[in-house]
Amino acid sequence: MKDMVRIFATAAAIATIGVGAAFAQEKPKVAFVPQIVGIPYFNAMEAGGKKAAADLGVDFIYSGPVDGNPVDQLQIVQNLIDQGVNALAVSVLDASAIAPVAEAAKAKGVKLFTSDSDAPDSGRLVYVAQATDEGLGDAIIDELVKRVGEDAKIGIVSGEATASNLNAWIGFMQKRAAARYPKLKLLEPQYAGSTAQRAAQVSSDLMAANPDLKGLIAVASSTCPGVAQAIETAGKIGQITATGYCSPNTARAYLKSGAFGFTVLWDPSQLGYLTVWAGKQLIDGKAFEASNTIPGMTSPATYDAATGILLLGPPAIFTAENVDKYDF
Amino acid sequence: MINVLPRGAVVEKRELLLLAACVLAIALFAIASPFFATADNAVTILRNSVELLLISLGMSLLLAMGGVDVSIGTVMGLAAFVIGRLLTAAVDPSLAALAGILAGTALGMVTGAVVVFGRIPAIVATLGLLGVYKAAIYLALGGAWLSGLPPTLTEMLQVRIVGVPIAVIVIALSYGVIWLAMRRTPFGLHLLAVGNSEEKARLQGVNTKLIQFSTFVISGTLAGVAAVFYIGTYRNVEMTIGSTLALDAIAAVVLGGTSILGGKCSLLGTVLGVLLLRILQNGLLLVGVPSLWQAVVTGALLIGVLSIEGLSGRLQLKFAGATQ
Amino acid sequence: MIALRRMRGQNLVLAILAALWVATIIGLSALSPAMFNAGTLTNILQFSTILSLVALGQTLVILSGGAGIDLSIGGTVSLSAMLAMLAFKTGMPIALVPPACILIGLLLGAINGLLVTRLRILPLIATLGTLFIYSGSALALTGGAAMSGVPAWMLAWGRGTIASLPLPFITIALPAFIVAGIVLLWTAWGRWIYAMGFNERSARLVGIPVDRVRFLIYTISGGLGGLAGLISLAWLGSGRPNIGQNLELESLTAAMLGGVAIVGGRGGVGGVLAAVLLLVTLKTGLLRLNVNTVWQVGIVGILLIAVLIADRLTTHRR
Repeated sequence: MKDMVRIFATAAAIATIGVGAAFAQEKPKVAFVPQIVGIPYFNAMEAGGKKAAADLGVDFIYSGPVDGNPVDQLQIVQNLIDQGVNALAVSVLDASAIAPVAEAAKAKGVKLFTSDSDAPDSGRLVYVAQATDEGLGDAIIDELVKRVGEDAKIGIVSGEATASNLNAWIGFMQKRAAARYPKLKLLEPQYAGSTAQRAAQVSSDLMAANPDLKGLIAVASSTCPGVAQAIETAGKIGQITATGYCSPNTARAYLKSGAFGFTVLWDPSQLGYLTVWAGKQLIDGKAFEASNTIPGMTSPATYDAATGILLLGPPAIFTAENVDKYDF
Repeated sequence: MINVLPRGAVVEKRELLLLAACVLAIALFAIASPFFATADNAVTILRNSVELLLISLGMSLLLAMGGVDVSIGTVMGLAAFVIGRLLTAAVDPSLAALAGILAGTALGMVTGAVVVFGRIPAIVATLGLLGVYKAAIYLALGGAWLSGLPPTLTEMLQVRIVGVPIAVIVIALSYGVIWLAMRRTPFGLHLLAVGNSEEKARLQGVNTKLIQFSTFVISGTLAGVAAVFYIGTYRNVEMTIGSTLALDAIAAVVLGGTSILGGKCSLLGTVLGVLLLRILQNGLLLVGVPSLWQAVVTGALLIGVLSIEGLSGRLQLKFAGATQ
Repeated sequence: MIALRRMRGQNLVLAILAALWVATIIGLSALSPAMFNAGTLTNILQFSTILSLVALGQTLVILSGGAGIDLSIGGTVSLSAMLAMLAFKTGMPIALVPPACILIGLLLGAINGLLVTRLRILPLIATLGTLFIYSGSALALTGGAAMSGVPAWMLAWGRGTIASLPLPFITIALPAFIVAGIVLLWTAWGRWIYAMGFNERSARLVGIPVDRVRFLIYTISGGLGGLAGLISLAWLGSGRPNIGQNLELESLTAAMLGGVAIVGGRGGVGGVLAAVLLLVTLKTGLLRLNVNTVWQVGIVGILLIAVLIADRLTTHRR
C-alpha cells in the first residue's frame, strides 16, 4: 500500500515532466540562463530571444533559477552543457560562480558566453552587453544631477547584496559622483532583497533618516515599485526625485505621478535578440565585426575585440513624456 | 521542556519586558537621531507594520494551538494577486478587497485541510504548500508583475473614521474579536487545550479537528486582510511577494511570549513584538547601521529575550530546589 | 524487538526510495535518451554533496527528538565558509582554511546546542534566531561580495573525479553517511539517539545523558554544515555569503522524504541519502527536459505532502 502510493506520487511527477518535454530537433540550440525567472525584464529578453531564434533558424531554450540562487543557476548551466546545447549565454549572478562550468563547457565544445551580466575572468567567449557598466552608472548620475542639482543628497536602494552586476553599477555611480560632482552626497547603498515590500520599508526609513534627501536610486528592477511607492505614500513627490534601472511598463504609473523623474534602461528584448544572434555567430564560427548591422535590430552593435564586449548601444532614458512609446 | 513558571506570571513579565524594551529603544534612538522621534517617522513605522501585525495575530493563534504556517506570506501574495487583477479590471475596490479576503479564507481552508485531514505535522505540510503556492503565484503572474495598479483601493483606505486611519481600526477590530474569542468563548479554551495536548483535549471531548481547521481559516483570512492593505500601500504584486513575512511573524510572536509548545497565547505581546522589531529596524537605519544587519538584529533579539527567560527560569528552578 | 521492527521499516523506506530513483531515471531517460551517461551521474552527485551533508545533520537533530530541528544549517554553511575566508584574507595561512571551516561549523552548532539544552529554548525558535544571525552576518560582514583566492590544490580536490564520481562526494559525504549509519545501528550512542527521540522521559529514566547527547548532536550538525561550507569553497573557487540560502528547507524536505518522523525516534540515514539523490535527480531531469524551473518548486512540494499522507495512511493501518 505504502509503496503503491509513493510510486503513484512519482508517476504523477514524471507525467508532469512529460507534458513539458520538447521533442528533439536537428536545429542548433542556443540557450539563455537569466538570473531569475518571473520578472518582466528577463521575460522581455526571452521574447527577443525567441524572435531571433525564429528569424535565424535555431532552437531557443530559456531556463533560470526561481529565486536568484547562484547554486541553482550553476546547476541549470551545468545541465544545459550536459544536454549538449551548441551555444549557451548566461546572465551571471555571481562572477566567480561560472568558473567550474566554464571548463566543462570547453571540454564539451559548448560555446559559453555571458549576456546582461558579465564574468570577465571566466574564459567566456564574448560578453553581450546592454551598455557598459560605466556608461550605466554615469548616465544615471548625470541625468539625476540635471534634475536635482549638484548640491544634493542621494540614497541608493539595491536588491540582493550578492548581485555582482548591480554592485558594479553602484561602484561606477560612486566613481562618477566623486570625479564630476564633489558636492553630491551619495549615501551608502542599502539592500532590500527581492521583495517590493522590503524596498518600500528601506526607502521610507531612508527618507525619515534624511529629511533633506533629494533623490533615490532603485538599482535592482525588483526595487523600482517599492521605492516609487514609498515616495508616493510619504507624500514627497516633487521633493524627492527617484530614478532607477526600470522598464517603462514597471515605471509608467510612477513616471506619470512624478515619483520617478526618469528611468534608465535599454530594450531587453533587443538584448535578447542580440544574445541569440551572437550565439548563432559563435556556432557558425563567424567573427564579430567592429560594427555589426543585424537585420531585426534597430541599431548596429559594436564589438570591442580587446575586452570581448559586444555592445547593444547607449541606454535609453525614459520620462513621463516618452514612456508611452514603449511596451516592455 | 515544560515551562516551570506559572502561566499568568510569564505573560505579564514578558509583556512588561517588551514594553520596557520598546521605551528604551525609542529613548535611545531619539537621543541618537534628531529625526527618529517625529510624527512623520512614527507614521512610517506604523505603516510598515500593518501587514506583519495582521499576519502575526493569526500566527499567534496557530502557535498557541501547537501549529505553525510557513506558507502564510505566499497566501497573502495570492490574495494580493486576486485583488490586483480585479483592480486592473476596474472592479469596485470594496468588492476587490472582499474577494481578496475570501481568497485568504479559501487558502486557509486548503492549508487547514492538508494539515488536519492529512494528519501531517504543520511545519512539514506548510513547507510543502509553500512550494505549491509559490508555483501558483508564478503561474498566475506569468512573469509579468502587476505594477502601478489603479489607486482606487488606496483612496478607499485613506478614509479616516473620527480622525483614526482605517488600518488602525481594522487592526484594533481584529485584535478585539480575537481577544474576545480567546477569553470569553469556549473556542479560546479549547484552542489552548489543543495546544497543551491534542490527545488530552480530544479525551475531554474537544472537537480538536474543528478547532485546528478553524484556526488555519482565521489565519488565512487575516492574511487576506493583510493583502488588502498590502495592495493599498504598494499597488504592486511581484513573484517574491511576502516571502519574508512568515519567519518575521514567527519571530515577532515568539518574542511576544506566545509559546510555540502551544497552550499559551499573548496577543498584546505579539503587537509589542512586531512594534519592537520595526522600531529597531527603522531606528538602526536612522542612526546609520546598514540594512544588511537587520536580520542579525532580529535574530539576536529573539535569542536574547529567550535566553533571559531561560536563565531566569533556571535560577528560579535552583531557588525552588534550595528551599525544598 | 522494537529495534528489529524499526530496522525493517528503515530498509523498506530505503528500498522504496531506491525503486523511485531507478524509476525516475528510467522514465527520464526514456523521454530524453541523451541524459543517460556518466557525465549526468557526476553532475547529480556533485549537486547532491552539499545538500546530503546538511540533510545528514538535519536528520540526526530530528531523530534525537525534543522537537529537534536545525533551521540555522544553511546559515552555518554560509558563515563558516565566509569566516574562514575572512580569516585567510587577514593573514591566516591558507592551509588552515579547511580546519577553520569545520571548527567554525562545530562552534556555530555548539551555540545551537547550548541554547537548546542549557537555556531550554525550543529548537525551532533557537535555530530560527541563529538562522537570522548566521546568514545575516555572512552577508553583512562581506557586504554581499564573493571572496576569491581559493588555492589550486583545494580546487583540484573540490572539482576532481575518480571514475566519474566527484571527490568531495566519495571522500566526505559518503563516509559521513556510512559512519552515521554504523553509529546509529550498531552502537550504544545510536540506541540512545533513537531512545531519546522515541520517548525522552523514559530515556532520562534509564539514565541516558539526554542533554549531553543532544548538545553533541547539534554540534555535529554544525560541523557537517562547516564541511559543506568547505566543499562549497573548494568546488566553486570562492566564498559566497548566500551559498547556504534555502538549504534549511531543502534539508528538511530531504529528511521528511527519507522517512524520518518529524517527532524523532524513527527513520534512518540511508533513506535520507536516497531522498537527496531522488530530489537532485528529479531536478536534473526536469532541467534536462527544459521544464520551467518553477514546476520544480511545486512538484517537490506536492511530492512531500503526498509521501507524508501515504505514510500516515499506512501507519494508521498497521
